[in-house]
Amino acid sequence: MAVAYDRVPVVEDVDGTVPAGASVALIGPNGAGKSTLIRAVLGLVPVVRGSVAVLGRPPQASTRQVAYVPQADTLDAEFPVSAFQAVLMGRYPRVGWVRRPGAADRRAAWSALEAVGLAEQASARFGVLSGGQRQRVLLARAIAQEPRLLLLDEPFNGVDALSQELLLAALARLRAGGAAVVMATHDLGLAHLACDEVCLLNHHQIGFGPIGLMLTPERLRATYGGQALELRGDGVIVARP
Amino acid sequence: MTDLLVEPFRLPYMQRALMEVLLLGALAGVVGVFVVLRRLAFVSDALTHTIFPGVVIAHLLDRSLLLGALAFGVLTAVLLTGITAGSRRVGADAALAILLTSFFSLGVLLVSRTRTYTADLTVFLFGRVLAVDRADLLQTLALAAVVAATLWALRKELVLRAFDPDGAAAMGYRTAALDLVLNLLIALVVVAAVKAVGTVLVVALIVVPAAAARLLADRVATTAVLAAALGALGGWLGLAASYEVSVDHGVRLAAGATIVVVLVVLFALAAAAAPLRRRMVAR
Repeated sequence: MAVAYDRVPVVEDVDGTVPAGASVALIGPNGAGKSTLIRAVLGLVPVVRGSVAVLGRPPQASTRQVAYVPQADTLDAEFPVSAFQAVLMGRYPRVGWVRRPGAADRRAAWSALEAVGLAEQASARFGVLSGGQRQRVLLARAIAQEPRLLLLDEPFNGVDALSQELLLAALARLRAGGAAVVMATHDLGLAHLACDEVCLLNHHQIGFGPIGLMLTPERLRATYGGQALELRGDGVIVARP
Repeated sequence: MTDLLVEPFRLPYMQRALMEVLLLGALAGVVGVFVVLRRLAFVSDALTHTIFPGVVIAHLLDRSLLLGALAFGVLTAVLLTGITAGSRRVGADAALAILLTSFFSLGVLLVSRTRTYTADLTVFLFGRVLAVDRADLLQTLALAAVVAATLWALRKELVLRAFDPDGAAAMGYRTAALDLVLNLLIALVVVAAVKAVGTVLVVALIVVPAAAARLLADRVATTAVLAAALGALGGWLGLAASYEVSVDHGVRLAAGATIVVVLVVLFALAAAAAPLRRRMVAR
């Protein structure tokens, strides 16, 4: 399939399937189209060639089963909302128009906050939390949505070690519960920790498969071009974002 | 002091004016919270100017000012939603400025053809709150009810959209539709306020109390309550001050502008109090 903005294709020739409980890292340099691919799966950008199916249906028909975790630092830190309220927003599509979230929704939001280790910060304003804590709040919001597919955009950017650990643990629990996870990241180490499969991307798909087979020097060089760096011939490639 | 704040309102026309500004102040304050959170102050300013020709045309045709304002309010709310979503090369701010000035000059052109040009212009731009009659009050009340009910019904979604537009879209909400609703609500507030404070000063009623409340509250709900209270308070104090100075001291102070000045003073007080409050919360 191919995705385009204003008829200029941003991502082309992407082809792959993410089964339930699987975890895929979208890997590629900045501007490679990772976020665009995620937006296509969310049904927010037009697919000009081929098709995207989420749980066997068009993306727009599956929004209830899909949760999206944006980068925390893209949101307004001064916004007057508490961590708990931000998590509760994940329930809004279930609550429906006009009505207020009920007791079950509040319970779901609480247990999601607990799952990311932030129950004690529930009433803190979103913006006063650290970058890693904000990212955990957004993951909790996604957990509260009870998704079958989770899409994350650079979830580990600017995240402290503790938050990183808690994020990884929460993602592992979601997968154990049968949810599929797709995350855009440029951190190869974390991709290794969090995912079994990778999709190498630089405007087109360079490879899609098990992480051990895909993260080879040749493929990474093809993905990152001049940004790839070989270290002392021991086969390790470091890609700078 | 109590005399100053209560005495003027023994007169029936002052009572109607008070009711009107209390309603408008509270209503504009609440809508303003969404305007400030979405950083739409310039959009609301544009709306206030684009509604102006509607008022003028209704006046020339001898029709209800409200209907004229309503027609242009809806038209421009639709145009604005389109413009802010789809003008990449020109830039949304430039497109807004073009819309604002073209509609505004159209209004001025139309007014300039009348014989009572300056008097008419003044009324449309700055309103005449002391001339508010029973029918005007009822109209404001009806519009306030519509706006308040819509805000109440969509509060969750509007807050989510303001906080995280991509997240809202990913959850399946049509953000463009929510944006149109908010623009329509702003238009309705402007329409409701035309007679009392005119098309130019209403933007102060929308933005200033909400901005002040934003400095003092950490939740959307408390911000909204505070903005409504500050808006109503500013209306009351401003009306009383303009009456007092005009009647007792013989210096004519336009009521609408006095209200705006009082609101700005309230904002300054909030800005001064905000750091103190933050220190107390931190402790």
